Amino acid sequence: MKPIRTGKRLNLRRNEAISFYLCISPWLIGFVLFVLGPMLASLAISVLRWDLLGEASFVGLRNYERVFTRDPLVWQSLKVTTIYTAVYVPMELVGGLALALLMNQKLRIERLLRTVYYLPSVLPGVAFVVLWMWILHPDVGLINTLLSYVGIDGPRWLVDPDWALTALLLMSMWGLGRSMVIYLASLQGIGRQYYEAAAIDGANYWQAFWRITIPMLTPTIYFNLVLSVISTFQTFTSAYVGTDGGPLDSTLFYVLYLFRQAFQFFRMGYASALAWVLFVIILGLTLMIVRSSRRWVFYGGERE
Amino acid sequence: MMAPGSLVDSSTRVGFSARRQRLRIASYAIAIGVAILFLLPLYWMISSSLKPEYQVLASPPVWIPNPVRWANYPEALSYVPFGRYTLNTLSISLLTVLGHVISCTVVAYGFARLRAPGKEALFVVLLATMMLPYPVTMIPIYIGFNTVGWINTILPLVVPAFFGSPFYIFLLRQFFLTIPPELEDAARIDGASLLQTLWYVILPTVSPAMATVAVFSFQTSWNDFLQPLIYLHEQTKYTISLGLSFFRSSYDVRWAYLMAVSFVTMLPIVIVFFLAQRMFIEGITLTGMKG
Amino acid sequence: MSRLSRYAGFVVGVILLATACTTPEPQIIERTVEVTKEVEVIVTSVPEVIEKTVEVTKEVEVVVTATPQPLPDGAKIILRVGTGDSGEGLNPHQEIIARFEEENPDILVQLEAVSGRDYYTRLFTQIAAGDAPDIMQIGDDAVPNFVDNGAFLSLDDFISGEFPLDTSIYLPGTLDPGQWEGTQWLLPKDFSPLAVYYNKAIFDDAGVAYPEDGWTWDEFLETAQTLTQDTDGDGDTDIWGAQLTANWTTGFEYFIAAAGGSLISEDGTEFVGYMDSEDAVQAVQFFSDLYNVHKVAPPPADFSLWAGGNSQFGNGQAAMRLFGRWPLAGYRDNPNVDLGMVGVPVGDERANTLFWGGFGIFSGTEHPEAAWRFLRFYAGEQGSDVWKDWAIPPVAAAAEAAGLTEDPIEGVWISELDYLVPRAYVFTPYWGQTADPALRKALETVLIDPDADVQAVMEQAAQEAQNALEDQM
Repeated sequence: MKPIRTGKRLNLRRNEAISFYLCISPWLIGFVLFVLGPMLASLAISVLRWDLLGEASFVGLRNYERVFTRDPLVWQSLKVTTIYTAVYVPMELVGGLALALLMNQKLRIERLLRTVYYLPSVLPGVAFVVLWMWILHPDVGLINTLLSYVGIDGPRWLVDPDWALTALLLMSMWGLGRSMVIYLASLQGIGRQYYEAAAIDGANYWQAFWRITIPMLTPTIYFNLVLSVISTFQTFTSAYVGTDGGPLDSTLFYVLYLFRQAFQFFRMGYASALAWVLFVIILGLTLMIVRSSRRWVFYGGERE
Repeated sequence: MMAPGSLVDSSTRVGFSARRQRLRIASYAIAIGVAILFLLPLYWMISSSLKPEYQVLASPPVWIPNPVRWANYPEALSYVPFGRYTLNTLSISLLTVLGHVISCTVVAYGFARLRAPGKEALFVVLLATMMLPYPVTMIPIYIGFNTVGWINTILPLVVPAFFGSPFYIFLLRQFFLTIPPELEDAARIDGASLLQTLWYVILPTVSPAMATVAVFSFQTSWNDFLQPLIYLHEQTKYTISLGLSFFRSSYDVRWAYLMAVSFVTMLPIVIVFFLAQRMFIEGITLTGMKG
Repeated sequence: MSRLSRYAGFVVGVILLATACTTPEPQIIERTVEVTKEVEVIVTSVPEVIEKTVEVTKEVEVVVTATPQPLPDGAKIILRVGTGDSGEGLNPHQEIIARFEEENPDILVQLEAVSGRDYYTRLFTQIAAGDAPDIMQIGDDAVPNFVDNGAFLSLDDFISGEFPLDTSIYLPGTLDPGQWEGTQWLLPKDFSPLAVYYNKAIFDDAGVAYPEDGWTWDEFLETAQTLTQDTDGDGDTDIWGAQLTANWTTGFEYFIAAAGGSLISEDGTEFVGYMDSEDAVQAVQFFSDLYNVHKVAPPPADFSLWAGGNSQFGNGQAAMRLFGRWPLAGYRDNPNVDLGMVGVPVGDERANTLFWGGFGIFSGTEHPEAAWRFLRFYAGEQGSDVWKDWAIPPVAAAAEAAGLTEDPIEGVWISELDYLVPRAYVFTPYWGQTADPALRKALETVLIDPDADVQAVMEQAAQEAQNALEDQM
C-alpha cells in the first residue's frame, strides 16, 4: 500500500488499533472478570495446603516438588494422557476430514448421513459414556456379542488393563461428527472457481485435492489441531464415568487424577499445582504448533 | 480425490463419467457402512430403552425387546420433572447461544481483520485460557459468584457467554481469515462504516460459521453438567443433564430409563441440526465470492 | 440481508418466548411443594400393579435472596437439605419433609438432591465457599474428615436440650458411625450391613438345602461349588455359585474381619504387619480362590461400577450374592429371582461391617435450631415411621412394629447388626488416600491375574499404604 502522508497513516493505524481493542473488549472484560481472577487464585492455592473444609496453610513449592519427585502416579497419568492424545489427535484430524470429504458430495441421502454421523456428539457426555460402558461390557455388550458371532472371544475391555485405554479410544471415535461438521462448513467455503480453473488446466482429482482442497483447509486443520491437543490433554469425563482410572491405573488421565486429589483426597493445593504443570505443558505444545503454523497454514484472506 | 459436485458440471463429460460412477458407488458404500457402524450403538440405546429393566443386561443379549415396554418412556420422563427441566435447559441454552454468537463474532472480527500492537500476545492469552483444567478454577469462580449472590440462578451459566468464548472466537477467526478482504475494502471505499460493513458484507459471508457456532454452543449448553451441578441448587431449576444423573445412583444404573430419556432429549438437537444443515453446510448463495 | 434479519428475528423471538415461559427470577420464588409419587411394583410383564400414591400440594410465596439477609416478618425459615439420593430414593425424603412442614408451619424445607459421586463434588464446592446446605448428608467414612475440619455442629447439646432426643431408641450400631471422638455429630439416615441373597429356584432345581444362619466359609464354598453348573454342556459356566464383591474395598473388610484380621493398627499408624498379616492374606486368598481356583464367582464386568458391575444374580444366573441391602427392592420385583436371605458366612470369627449414611448440621448454618428440629424429626420416630416402608428404619421400635424384625428377609439385616466390627476408616482419617487405593489395586490384581502371589501382592499393598500414610503426616 502506498503511503499517503505519514501523519494520516499514523492516524489510520491508531484508529485501527482502537477499533481492535473495541472489538475484543467483550472478551477482554470477560477475561478480567471471570477468568483472570480464578486463574490467579488457583496459582495462589497451588502454594498452599488446603482441604476445602478447613484452614489453608502455606507450604511454598512443596506441592510442585511432590509433583516432580515424589509421586509416581503423576508420571503414570502423564503417560496415559500422552499416549491417548498422540493416538487420538491424528485420528480425529484425519477421520473428521475423511468423513467430511465423504459427506461433501451430492449423494442423495447426504443430509441424513451427516445427521447420523453427528448424532453421537449430541448425546450428553455422561449418557454417551454410560452407553459405551455397556456396549463394551465383556459379557453382554454389543461389541463382544458381535465378535462372538464371528468366533472371536473379545477382550474384557474396561476390566483389562491392557485394553481399557483402547476401549476409551474406540468410544471417542464415535464422536468424530463434531470435527466433521467444522470441516464441512469450511469445505463449502472453498470457492468453486479454483476447481474450475484447475479442471481447465487438466488437473485430476488427486491433484485438485492436494493442491487446492488441503491448502484451503489448512486454517481449519490448524484450528482442529490446536483445539484437539488442548482438549484431549484434559480428557476427563470418559475416564471419570467409565473407568475411574482403572483398572490398575491404566486409564488414569491427568485431569482425573487432579480431580481426585482435589475432591476425594482433600488436597486442593496439590491439585492446583498439578493443574499448572499441565498448563505449562499444553502451552508449550500449543506455542510450537502456533509457531509452525506460519509455515503451513495458508489464509486466503489474510491482510499483510 | 473428492471435489465439490460443481466439478461435474463444468468438466468434460466422457473421460470422467465412468470413473465418476465407480467413485460414487464406492462413496455410497463407505458412507452407508460407516453410518451403520455409527447407528448400531444408537439402535442398542433405543432397543434398551424399550426393555424391562432386568432384560437390559441379559445374557445372551436380547436384540429385540420382548416385551416391548413403551411404559418406560412416560415413567422415565416422570421420574423427575423433565418437562420443567427441559424448559430450564432451553432458556439457558438459547441465551447462551445468543451471547456466544454476538460476542464471538465481534471479537473474532477484531482478531482477524484489525491490526494492533499486542494482538499476537492477546491471541495466545486467548488460547491459554483454555489450558487450565476446570476443577481447579471451579471453586474460585464459585466463590466469586457467591460473593455477588448469583448462586442458585442461571446467571453464572449465561452471562459469561456474552463475553465470548475462546473456542468459538478461534473458530470464527479462522473463517474470517479465509475470506479475502477485497470485498470489505470495496465496501469501505464505497463509504460504508465499520458497522455497516460488518452487517451487510461480512456477516452474510460468515453466517455458515456463525450457524455452526450456534449449533455447537446450543448443544454444549444443552448437555452441560458440571456447571448446573454446582450453580443450581433448587431442584425446580435443574437442567436435563442433572435430571439424567438421577438414573445413576451410587450403586445402580437404571439403564432402560436412562436410555429412554437420553433419546428423547437428544431429539430436539438432532432435528435442529438436520434442518439447519441447509443454512450452514450447504452454504448460502450470494453475489460475490462463491460461484 | 432480509434472510439474515429473518433468522435473527426468529432467534430473538424464540429466546423471548423461552425466557418469558421460564422466568428464572432469583428474587421471588413461588414455591410449590408437591409430593406426588406413584410407585408401581410390577411382578411380571402382565402388570400386577400395586400403587402407592402420596399427594400433598402446597403453594407458598416467599421472599428469598441468594445471599443471606434478615428475613422480613412473616417469612418462613428456609432449610436447605443436601442429599445424594436420587429418583425414587427421594420419595421418603419428600414425604418426611411434607409431614414435617405440616407440623412446623414456620419452616420450609428445600431438598437439594444430586445423585452419586457428583453430590460430593457439589458439596465440597459449597463448603469451600461457605454456602453449604443447612443439613448435609454424608457417608460414614467421610465423617472423620468433615468433623475434624469443623464442617458440622456438635449435636450433644441439642440432644439434651429443648427438643431432646432419646438416643436409646436406635438399633444397635446405627448411631455409632455418626459419632467421632466422643461426640455425636450426625444422626442415621439409612444403613446396611452385608448379607447373602440366594435364589431359591436354583437351590430347588439342584436339590440343595437352603443356607442356615451361622454357616461357615467351608459350607459357603461347598454350596457354591455344588450350584456352579454348566447346564448346556458347552464348556461355559451357565449358573454361578456366588456373585461376589470384586474390587469393592470397604466391602472387603468383612472378609478380613471374618478371618480374624484387621487392615490397620488400632492407633492408625501401621499398615505393614496388618494388611499383610497372615489373617489378611488368608482372606484375600480365599476371595481370590473363589474367583480363580474354584471358579464359583463370575468374573467382574466393570471395575468402575460398584462391586464389579456383574448382573448374573439379577439375571437368575447366580445362586447367591454377597452384598448390602441396596438392590433388595429390585430383586423382590425381579421375576428371575425367588428371593431368600441369610447372614454372611462365618470365618474364624463371626463379623460384619456396616455401611451408613447420616445427616448433620452444617457449622455455618444460620438456623441451627430449626435445623435441629428437622433433624430430630427426620432421624427420630416420625421419620422412621416413613422409612419403614422403604428401608429398615434406624429406630428399633419402628422396625419391630412394622414386623421387619421377624420378616425372613428383612430380619436378616437386623440380626446381622449384632456382629458389627469397626471399619478401618475409624482408625485413620487418611483411609481414602492410603489404604483404599492400595487395597483396590491389590484386589484388582488378584482378580485379573489368577497366578498372582497373594502374599506378595498384599505386602506391596501394605507398603504402598504405609508410604502414602507417612506422606500425609
